[in-house]
Amino acid sequence: MANDSRRSYKLEVWVTAICFIIVAVTGGFFSSIVVIMNETFFNQVPTPEGLVNSYGETMFVFKEHLAVWGFPLHYFLLIFLSWIGATLVGAIWCLVMDRLEEKQRA
Amino acid sequence: MEPRGEVFVLGLILSVIVLIISVMISVWARRLTRNLGDYYVAGRSIGALNNGLAMVSLALSLITFIGLTALIIEGLYVAVAVYASFTAAFIGLMVLAAPYLRRHKSFTTMAFISERYDSKTLRYISVIVMMIVSVLYLAGNLKGIGIVFFFLLGVPEVVGIVVGGLVVTLYVTLGGMYGVTYNQTFQTIVLLFCLMFPVAIVMRALGASGWVFPPFGYGDMVPQMTEAVPHYFWAMVTHPVVYIAIFLGSFFGIIGLPHFVMRFFTVRDAREARWSTVICVFLVGLVNTTVYATGFAAVYYMQAEGVDIPSAAYDYVVFILVETLAGDSWLALAVAGSVAAGLSTVSGLLMIMGAGLIHDLYGTIKPEVDDEKKLKLSYGAMFFVGIAVIIFSLDPPEFILEAIMWSFGIAAAGLGVPIVLGIWWKRTNKYGVGAGMVVGSLIAFIGWIMIGYMGMDPVDIPFPFFANYFYGPLGWIKVIAVAVPISFILTIVVSWLTPPPPEELQRQVDEMHGWSDVDPKRYNSKILPVVIIILSIFIMYFMTYEPEGTDFPRLEGQEHTLRDRD
Repeated sequence: MANDSRRSYKLEVWVTAICFIIVAVTGGFFSSIVVIMNETFFNQVPTPEGLVNSYGETMFVFKEHLAVWGFPLHYFLLIFLSWIGATLVGAIWCLVMDRLEEKQRA
Repeated sequence: MEPRGEVFVLGLILSVIVLIISVMISVWARRLTRNLGDYYVAGRSIGALNNGLAMVSLALSLITFIGLTALIIEGLYVAVAVYASFTAAFIGLMVLAAPYLRRHKSFTTMAFISERYDSKTLRYISVIVMMIVSVLYLAGNLKGIGIVFFFLLGVPEVVGIVVGGLVVTLYVTLGGMYGVTYNQTFQTIVLLFCLMFPVAIVMRALGASGWVFPPFGYGDMVPQMTEAVPHYFWAMVTHPVVYIAIFLGSFFGIIGLPHFVMRFFTVRDAREARWSTVICVFLVGLVNTTVYATGFAAVYYMQAEGVDIPSAAYDYVVFILVETLAGDSWLALAVAGSVAAGLSTVSGLLMIMGAGLIHDLYGTIKPEVDDEKKLKLSYGAMFFVGIAVIIFSLDPPEFILEAIMWSFGIAAAGLGVPIVLGIWWKRTNKYGVGAGMVVGSLIAFIGWIMIGYMGMDPVDIPFPFFANYFYGPLGWIKVIAVAVPISFILTIVVSWLTPPPPEELQRQVDEMHGWSDVDPKRYNSKILPVVIIILSIFIMYFMTYEPEGTDFPRLEGQEHTLRDRD
């Protein structure tokens, strides 16, 4: 019984930690990584004359071969993960917690 | 966008219908309210679907219609990142707090903090933090309803603020949490219908291949979009720590925002709390991604058709596109949807402010007062708060988005941290929480006073060491990346240095997690606090990191770049 309880506790903590880390990545760390890995996602090209004052001498455009359904990869991932991804992670966590709750009741 | 010279009859009729139905729902819901528990937490009888829908309308304020699209048009990837973070934050709220709070059986966030740490002082402090956060969040929402009335319906702004404010005050006062919940559910349905359909019609008119499903239907517009706003997708317009600050603000802020948390006290049990959040995150994501699509459509429309929408009118671009490309009847729907969005957010905030004043403040000062009297006082307090909010909204300090982000930051440092640690670490005590919540929320609040209210440049604020690094576009958001980590570090370190909380308080943690027995080892590991401290220090240190070859583009109102600082 004590072992069961310990296992359930560990399962709760680990599943929660993993789910939180996954959504936290979408929630901010992912975009930070995109900044740090700037050159992986973008090409640096001269800025059109009319926009130099706003953007400086060069500007960055996304690499077209990294597009999904027409969207830049990092943008697609951001909106997909923060929406469908987060919903799925939430649903999986709920299912695990439902099972744990049933065990706790038993 | 020029104000309409004449009254837009169809839009006005639909908006008035929304207002009338809102009051009718509350009149009906009043019959369900028999005691204080019914008034504040709807008798803890709300199901997952109902609560999920109600949470959606709480999450989608007027900025969904008038504000977010402007940021997207101006080419800020960071605007999408903020909303993506906000959407995913609901899952953070769920896994870290929602079902556990429900099992705790409190009425409000402030009551939870007070009871978990057995401290009246913490209850008073958390009421103060709640009031600051709610007023900031509220700033502009009623004003926004006034703007909608003025620009789109041809009705003077003051009339919109007063009528909208009175209607919300009336239905919150009359119906209590039952009225608020059923109204929010109704408003979510209105909002979804009134946003999704008009935007799909607009996308079809623009020739988007995936117009049937706007959230992912605009990929073929991207080339024109990048031609018009070359830096749109470039994440490097801000320092990378800004995104971390957004994460901290939205994830811990949403846990700390009392009007979100209060929704979990209304559901039947922890399971309903969990599944209502999943429903909510799916629908919030659906609406937010549709709004991104609208921003894209506007840029595409300007580029492809050669139309020049002045930047001052970007806030109303949803309505401009719908009016131009879909027609007046769709515009009337969009206007009604925006009125519903404004009402729902205001109602949730009024509810928590009234509950905070009577249940948490008055009820603590005068514990001998019985529930019946508290219920009567609650009606009066709710009405008083509503009127005060209307007066305040006639001249709010600033418009919505920036104020909301500050309120998230203050809520994260002041309320989010004590809630999360109170649920997941038994060793957290009142001394640690006192230190963390006071210092953390003060850092964020003083930041707002100096930067958001007084208009100081972030790098000039008298903040030791860190102010040097508040440079660059949206540099002020980095204040949150200091406030939240410091709140965590202080709470943990002071808790460690002071006596542990008594056993009966530690028992609450086991009960919140659904255990019928008590095990001192559960939720008492040293790993969690150590990891949190390391991460907190890392995040603050990360602020000093300078990405190589960066020269952030200048955004309006943001003078400092890396180059300027050097």
